Amino acid sequence: MKRIALMRKELLNALRVGWFLAVRQVQRSGKGTTSLIIFIMVLTFLNLVVVSGLLVGLIAGSFQQFRESYSGEVIITAAPGRDYIENSPALISFLKSHPSVAALSPRYGVGGQILGTLTDNPKKNERPNRIAARVVGIDPVQEEALTRFSRFLKYGSNLQPDEEGYILIGANLIKKYSSFADANIPGLDLLNDIEVGNRVRLTLTTKEGGVIAKEFIVKGIVKSKVDEISTRMFVLDKELKRLIPANKEHVQEIAIKTNYEYAPSLVAQIKDFMGSYVARVQTTDEAIPSFLRDVETTFGILGNALSSIALVVASITVFIVVFINAVTKRKFIGIMKGIGISPLAIEVSYILQALFYGVSGSIIGLALTFGLLRPYFSAHPIDFPFSDGILVATPAGAGLRVAILLVVTLAAGYIPAKLIVRKNTLDSILGR
Amino acid sequence: MIQAKQLVKTYGKGELELVVLKHLNLDIQKGEFVAIIGPSGAGKSTLLYQLSLLDNPTSGEVYLDNVRTSDLNQTQKTSFRLEKLGYVFQDYALLPDLTAIENTALPMLMQGMPRSAAFKKAHEALARIGIADKTGNLPGQLSGGQQQRVAIARGIAHHPAILFADEPTANLDSSNGRLVMAAFSELHRQGQTIVMVTHEEEYASHAHRVISLKDGEIVSDHKR
Repeated sequence: MKRIALMRKELLNALRVGWFLAVRQVQRSGKGTTSLIIFIMVLTFLNLVVVSGLLVGLIAGSFQQFRESYSGEVIITAAPGRDYIENSPALISFLKSHPSVAALSPRYGVGGQILGTLTDNPKKNERPNRIAARVVGIDPVQEEALTRFSRFLKYGSNLQPDEEGYILIGANLIKKYSSFADANIPGLDLLNDIEVGNRVRLTLTTKEGGVIAKEFIVKGIVKSKVDEISTRMFVLDKELKRLIPANKEHVQEIAIKTNYEYAPSLVAQIKDFMGSYVARVQTTDEAIPSFLRDVETTFGILGNALSSIALVVASITVFIVVFINAVTKRKFIGIMKGIGISPLAIEVSYILQALFYGVSGSIIGLALTFGLLRPYFSAHPIDFPFSDGILVATPAGAGLRVAILLVVTLAAGYIPAKLIVRKNTLDSILGR
Repeated sequence: MIQAKQLVKTYGKGELELVVLKHLNLDIQKGEFVAIIGPSGAGKSTLLYQLSLLDNPTSGEVYLDNVRTSDLNQTQKTSFRLEKLGYVFQDYALLPDLTAIENTALPMLMQGMPRSAAFKKAHEALARIGIADKTGNLPGQLSGGQQQRVAIARGIAHHPAILFADEPTANLDSSNGRLVMAAFSELHRQGQTIVMVTHEEEYASHAHRVISLKDGEIVSDHKR
């Protein structure tokens, strides 16, 4: 018991003297050197957080766009093998009265063909200027509330609830505006010479093989990095409802805007409400294809691998800094040991100095990440072909990286200090 | 107070073996001011390092305050040095990042003394050595003589049983050397046991006992 008390006293003394020495060594060391070391630690921290954050952010950005531009936080679609969401009218009423539903957009959707050239017949070996795509019937007011749909209009203007006979065409269906037009993909024929104001013919085919056709005027061209916008055609829901040959009361999609964290609970409530009626009810995260999840995971692993290299570089940097610091002060370390300062106190002083660099770098790095970089990339996303890349940095993730950096710093500070402190006292004093 | 029995210190091995101390016996009483003198290579500093536990003898025994020091491990030796011994080195050996008073207070902080008490005693020690007006100066802001006096203050502030000094005047001009020796004389008058290595006869004359070494052996031991 007495021995434990003595050890405790020695440990506390070592900490106290270590702190005393560390504070003064940091205070009285060269400002330039200290700033440089902290700068390196800041870069290391940013490397840890930002590299992986941006890589993951490329995919996370696409998920975010998918949610904000198309699915909302909950998306209901027809069950596999079914044409429509069963019991749609009642479900829509339920959702409209639900207090946690901020907006919803019921959508009709059918496969159709659009014929872009009505005046000329194709020559012998020419295909008609036609493309097959999904035609979606929307209520522009509800869609605007859910996705701010009008922002996708690259040319022309949006549909109006009381204006029939107009169509919006996704940019990726039109050769002139498609992101894939120059890809020369075999079999990919896009619409030629389509501009706002052109007249096109929409053709729907019934189950029995019958054909329903109606001409529309192109009112706008919509473009987004979300395929569900850029590869579809949009008409008024009531107009498409009239064209659909059957099941006119039932929609094919309902996108719902609610609180992100609340989405799983809402999904459960909807499933309860549906009872024996079938539909696919998913949160936006569940609706994301698994291969994209795999890409996200892969990017995360890649980011962590790159961060690990940064971590090794940082630990070597701290090691070298502390080692050089300790080597140049080897004589003074010997003197301290000579006058009775415990090796532990000396080691603590070097560890605390290393931690000072690590903590300072982390604090500045956190401030830069959350005060500058994350807001910046949120406001100015990286323009990636399939998404707008954002910086994914969560307090928990950043906290974990701070902890890792500090542990590495601690080890990188302790080892060189230990190597120097364990040298023979007299040899250190005499510099031999 | 200090006893050395059959003290041997060698460096190297085989044909390169160099015997620096040759079966040396020594007995120093409490309150003595002993000067160890001799030509370069006589083994003066080596003897001081063995007596002050900064080095381990090849054979033989050193007793300090009736403690057989070969029984102590490194940690116990460090602790012993902290509690019982004080040091003054040739090149002052002050820590450059600490002010005069911080350098002086450091051993007492390590002993566990509260900071205010340690600084009070450090101030008293600096005042005893006549350098109380330089407490806030870093070593780089002090002259060689001032630095050595701060080193002496650090060596005595925690009231060690024995003060060891290794060529304390070697880097000083004569006036500063005399000031330092005056400080040692005053400490001796106050009862401090001092063991000092010097190669200068003039400064050795301040001691009341002078031990001459040559080739690792005591060739004379005079008390005044």
